[in-house]
Amino acid sequence: MRTPHRGLIAVLALAPLLTGCFAASDSDSDSGSATGGAKRLRVALAVPPVQALSPYSNDATVLSKLAVAEGLTRLGKDGNAQAALATSWKQVDAKTWTFELRKASFQNGAQVTAAAVVNTLDHAGKAAARPRVLSDVTLDAKADDADTVRITTSTPDPVLPLRLASPALGILSAEAYAKDGTVSPVGTGTGPFRITRLTGRTKATLDRFDGYWGGRAKTPGVDVSWIADGTARTHALRGGEVDVAEWIPTSQAGLLPEGTRHEVPSVRTDSLVLNTGGGVFADAAMRGAARQAVDGSVLVDSVFGGYADAPQGLFGPGVGWAAGAREKVTGRARAATADQVKATGRTVRLATYTNRGELPEVASVVQQQLEKAGFEVRQDVREYTQMESDLLAGKYDALVFSRVTLLDTGDAVSYLASDYTSKGVYNIARLKDPAVDKAITAAAQEGGTEERRKRIMAAEAEILRTDAVLPLVHEKVVQGIGRQVTGVLLDPRERSLIDLDTRLK
Amino acid sequence: MRVDVSTSRAATRDAAATVPSPARRRASAWRAGIGTGAAALAGRVAAGAALLVTVALLPWLSRSDPALTVLRTRSAEQNPTPGALAAVRDELGLDDGPFTLLGRWLGGLLRGDAGTSWVSGEPVLPDLVPALGVSLTLVAGALVVTVVVAALVSARTVFLGSHRRLHRARAGTGAAVLAALPKFLLASVLATVFGVWLGWFPTSGWVGPASMVLPALALGVPSGAMIGGLLDQALPAAFHEPWARTWYAVGFPPGHAVRHALRRTVPGVLPQLLPTVVALVGGAVSVEMIFNVPGVGRLVLGAALAQDLPVLQAGTLTLVLLGGAAGLGLRSLRRRMLGPALREGALPTLHRPPMPVPGALRYVAAACALALVTLCVAGLLRDPLHVDTAARLLPPSTAHPLGTDSLGRDLLARLGHGALRTTGVALAVTAVSVLVGVLLGMVPKVSAGLTEVVSTLPAVLAGLLVTGLTGPSVLGAALAVCVVGWSPYAAQTSALLQQERAAGHVTASVALGGGRVHVLRRHLLPSLVPPVLRNALLRLPTAVLVLASLGFLGLGAQAPSPEWGRLLSENQAYVELAPWTVLGPAAALVVLAVLAVAGAGIVQGGVRGRGRSGR
Repeated sequence: MRTPHRGLIAVLALAPLLTGCFAASDSDSDSGSATGGAKRLRVALAVPPVQALSPYSNDATVLSKLAVAEGLTRLGKDGNAQAALATSWKQVDAKTWTFELRKASFQNGAQVTAAAVVNTLDHAGKAAARPRVLSDVTLDAKADDADTVRITTSTPDPVLPLRLASPALGILSAEAYAKDGTVSPVGTGTGPFRITRLTGRTKATLDRFDGYWGGRAKTPGVDVSWIADGTARTHALRGGEVDVAEWIPTSQAGLLPEGTRHEVPSVRTDSLVLNTGGGVFADAAMRGAARQAVDGSVLVDSVFGGYADAPQGLFGPGVGWAAGAREKVTGRARAATADQVKATGRTVRLATYTNRGELPEVASVVQQQLEKAGFEVRQDVREYTQMESDLLAGKYDALVFSRVTLLDTGDAVSYLASDYTSKGVYNIARLKDPAVDKAITAAAQEGGTEERRKRIMAAEAEILRTDAVLPLVHEKVVQGIGRQVTGVLLDPRERSLIDLDTRLK
Repeated sequence: MRVDVSTSRAATRDAAATVPSPARRRASAWRAGIGTGAAALAGRVAAGAALLVTVALLPWLSRSDPALTVLRTRSAEQNPTPGALAAVRDELGLDDGPFTLLGRWLGGLLRGDAGTSWVSGEPVLPDLVPALGVSLTLVAGALVVTVVVAALVSARTVFLGSHRRLHRARAGTGAAVLAALPKFLLASVLATVFGVWLGWFPTSGWVGPASMVLPALALGVPSGAMIGGLLDQALPAAFHEPWARTWYAVGFPPGHAVRHALRRTVPGVLPQLLPTVVALVGGAVSVEMIFNVPGVGRLVLGAALAQDLPVLQAGTLTLVLLGGAAGLGLRSLRRRMLGPALREGALPTLHRPPMPVPGALRYVAAACALALVTLCVAGLLRDPLHVDTAARLLPPSTAHPLGTDSLGRDLLARLGHGALRTTGVALAVTAVSVLVGVLLGMVPKVSAGLTEVVSTLPAVLAGLLVTGLTGPSVLGAALAVCVVGWSPYAAQTSALLQQERAAGHVTASVALGGGRVHVLRRHLLPSLVPPVLRNALLRLPTAVLVLASLGFLGLGAQAPSPEWGRLLSENQAYVELAPWTVLGPAAALVVLAVLAVAGAGIVQGGVRGRGRSGR
C-alpha cells in the first residue's frame, strides 16, 4: 500500500505549488473591487513595459495613455501646446522661456512646485540614456519663485512648449528618482490615476487619485494588462476579459462586432525607402521608374483591410494641418523606361521587417509592382533588430518602412532631420541633397507656427522630389472599445487613451 | 510485485551460468555506476559551460551592435546617435569584452545575484523566477495532457494485447495525424472556440487554474500523440514475450499483463519526454504568445533578440539546469523501472512479432500519396507568387480550388510549389539529425550531458548562434535545426542500446567472438532502426514548422517562397476569418505525416515478412 500514499503526498505537495503560481495574479483583481460603486476599467495595452515604466524609455507613452503623469504642457487636437501643469508661458528671448505653474499636488501628497519641476527636468537632462525628446537640445531649468520656472535652451528652440508636452518629460515627485538613476512613476505622478502596483511586464493596477487638480475621475480605477499578441488582444476584448484593447491588427478588425472598433488616423506613414547612396537606386532615373511602378493605394483595401489612407505625402491625415499646406512636387528626374530598367541587370534587394504584421505582405505586393516595371527583386524579411545595422550600412536597395512622422516633440522637423539630412543619424535612404538639407534647416529655424508648417511642407516637397522615399499608405489605428465604455480618447499620436471622463456605462 | 517474473527467472538462469556472487557483482556494478555518473556529470558541466560561453559571446559573434539593439528595445524610435550609443555602451560596460562580463556575471551568481537586465535595469531573478514558476506549472499541465493522450493513443493496443487478440500491426496513423498538428494552430483554434465563442475558459493571461487548460491542451495533445505513437509501436513486442503468453494461459487478469507490458516498454519511451515535454519550458513561445502566458519562453526569446545578455544567460542556465535535472530524474525513473534486470544483464530484447500489415493501410498510404502527387502537379501548373489584391481571402472555388490567401495568391499553387522543397529540406534535416543522434547515442558516456543540455535549448537560440556565425543564409535554418534536432534520437538510441546490450543474445554473440562491428551490425542496429525511424517520421511535421519558425532571423528561404511552414505562420492571423488559408497547409502536413508513417509501416512489415521467411 505504498503507492496511494505517495500519490496523495504528491497531490498535497502540488496543490500549494499551483496556487502559489497563480496567487500573485488573483489578488490583483480583488484589490480594485474594494472601491465599490462604479466598476473598474480593464484595459489591454500592446507593448509590455521594457524599463519598469521609466519615462526615459518607450514606456513613457504608457504614463500619458493612462493619465498617470503630466508635463508642463500637453498637445491639443490641432497639434498646438495647451496648458497642463503650467497655466501659461512666455518667451523671454530666443533661448529663454518662463512657465507659470498651477496649484496641483503629486499623488504622494507633495505639492507641485517650481523646484520639483526643475528636479524632473534636471534628471531627464542628466540621465545616462537621455530621453529622445532631448536628443537635440539641452535644457537648463531654474526656479524663479515657487510657481515660476525659467527654462533656458542651449540653442534657440522655437518648439519648446511642444517638447515639454512629451510623456518623457512628465513631472514626477522627487521621490521617483532613485540614486542609481532609475525612475519610478509608481505613486509619484500628478495625473488623475495613480499606479498602485506594477506586476512585472504583465499587469498594472491603477487607482483614482482623488487629489487631482482637474477633479475626480469617473472611474474608480484601471486594471491594465499587457497582451503583446494582436490576436490575443482581440480575443480578450471579444471574450469580455477587457473593456478596451488598443491596436487591433487589421487582420482581426473584421471580427470585432459593430460599434466596438474605432479607427483613428495615425501619424504613422508606411513608405518605400530607396537607397540613394549606392546600388540600383543611386540613379535618379531608376528611382523615378520605381515611383511610377509602385502604387500604394491598392494596399489600402487589401493588406490593410480598409484601415489605412492612400498616400498623400510624407505626412498623412493624422497630421491635421498637412493637407492644407501641401506643396506640389516639381523638378523630379525623368523616369527610366522598362527597357532601361531591364538593361541594368541588377537585382533589387528589398528589405522589410516582421515586427509589424502588415509589412511583409506590403513587401510582396511592392515586389510584384516593381517586377512589372522590369526590376528583378529579392526579398529579405527579418526581425527589425536583426537587420538595423545592415539597413544603416546601406546593404539594401529598398526598404518597406513604417515610421512615426511626429516624434516626441510633436513637431515634424526632428523626423525630417534625422531621416533625410545628409548628417541624419537615421538616414536609411542615405540621401545627401543640398536642397533638402537647406529646406529642412530653414524649417528648423522658424519659430512661428504657421510659417514653420509651411516650411515643413516645402521640405516635404523637396524630399519627395528626390524620389528617395515613396509613401505607400498612411496607417490607421483600430482601437477596440467595448460598447459598455464611454469617453476613451482616440488620439492620432497615440499619447492619450484614458482620462477623467472615461468610464463604464 | 517488484520483481518481474520473466526477468527474475532470466536472472536466476544467468546467475547460475556465471561464477561471481550476486552481491559482488552488484557492488562492482555500483562502483561502475558511480564512475559513469561522474563522467556523465562532467559531460553535463562541460556541455553547459560551453553553451554559456557561446551565449556570452553572442553579441560579439553576431553582426549587430548590442548597444544599438538595447537602445532600440528601450526606446524604439530613438535616433541612434553616436552619443546615445556610447552612453549605452558605457552603462553596460560593453568595452570590457565578453569574458570580463561573463566573469563578473558568474561572480555575482556565486553570491546569488543573477545580474541586472541590460534593457530594463531591473534585477534578473525577480523576473525570471515567476516566469519559471508559470512555465513549470504549464508544462506540468501539458505533461498530464500528454500522458492522457498517450494512454488514449495506445489504449487499443493495450486492450487487445492484454486479451491476446493483437493479430494485426497498427501503423498509428491516428497518432501521426495528432502529432502533425502545429501547436500554434491548435492554440489559435482552441482560443477562438473555447475562449471567444463558448467563453468556457479565459483566452489570455494567467489568472487561475482555468487559464491553464487551453495552453496545456495545445501543448500536450501533439506531444501525447508523439509519445503515444512510440509506445503503441513498442507494446506488441512486450505482449509477444513468453511471459505474457504464460500469464494468459495461467489465467492472470489482463491488468497484470498490462502493468508489466508497460513496465517493459515505457522505459524505452521515457527519455523522449525530455525533448518533447520538458523542452516546452523554454520552447513554447508561440503558445505563450497566443494565450499571453508570462512564461520563460517569451522571456528568453525577448532577451535573445534584444541581446540582453544577463537575462539570456540566466535563462539559458536555468534551462540547462532544468534539462540536467529532468534528465537525471528520467534516468533514475528508468532505472527504477528496469533496475534489476538491466543490472543483471538479463533483459530480453523487445522484438516485434511478425504481424500482417492491415490491408487498409495500403489504401491509406496510396490515397495520401495520390493526394500529394495531385497537389504537386495541380499546384505546379499555377503561379504561386502572383499577387492579386482584388482576389483577397477568397473561399475555395473552381477558379481557386483551395481558396486564396490575404494577398490573393492561389493557395493550391503555393502548396504545390512548396511541396518538394518543404519535404526535401525537412527529410534532409531529419536524416542528418537521426544520423548524428544515433552516432552520439552510441557513446552515451560522452553525449549524455550534451543531449540533455541540447534537449531543452530552444531552436531559436541555435538559430541566433547560426546567424551570428554565418550570417543570414538559406542553409542556415537547416543547420540550426540540425544543431538541436538530434537530441531526441540520441536519447532514444542510448536508451535502446542500454537495454539491448543487456540482452542475452548480444552477450552470447560477444561470447562467441563477435567483434564490435559484427555485434553492432547484426544485433544492435537492426533492433535500433525501426523505433528511431518511427520517431523521426512522427517528428517530420515538427521539423517543417521549426524550419519555418526561424525565418524571422533571416534563416531559410526568404519570402515570398511558398514553404508549408511559412504558409501556416503567415496565415495564422486569418484562422477565424478565412479558415481555408490554414486548413490547406495543415491538411497537407497531416497527409505527409500519415503517408510517412503508413509507408514506413508497410515497408517494415514487408522487410520483416521477408526476413522471417528467409531465415
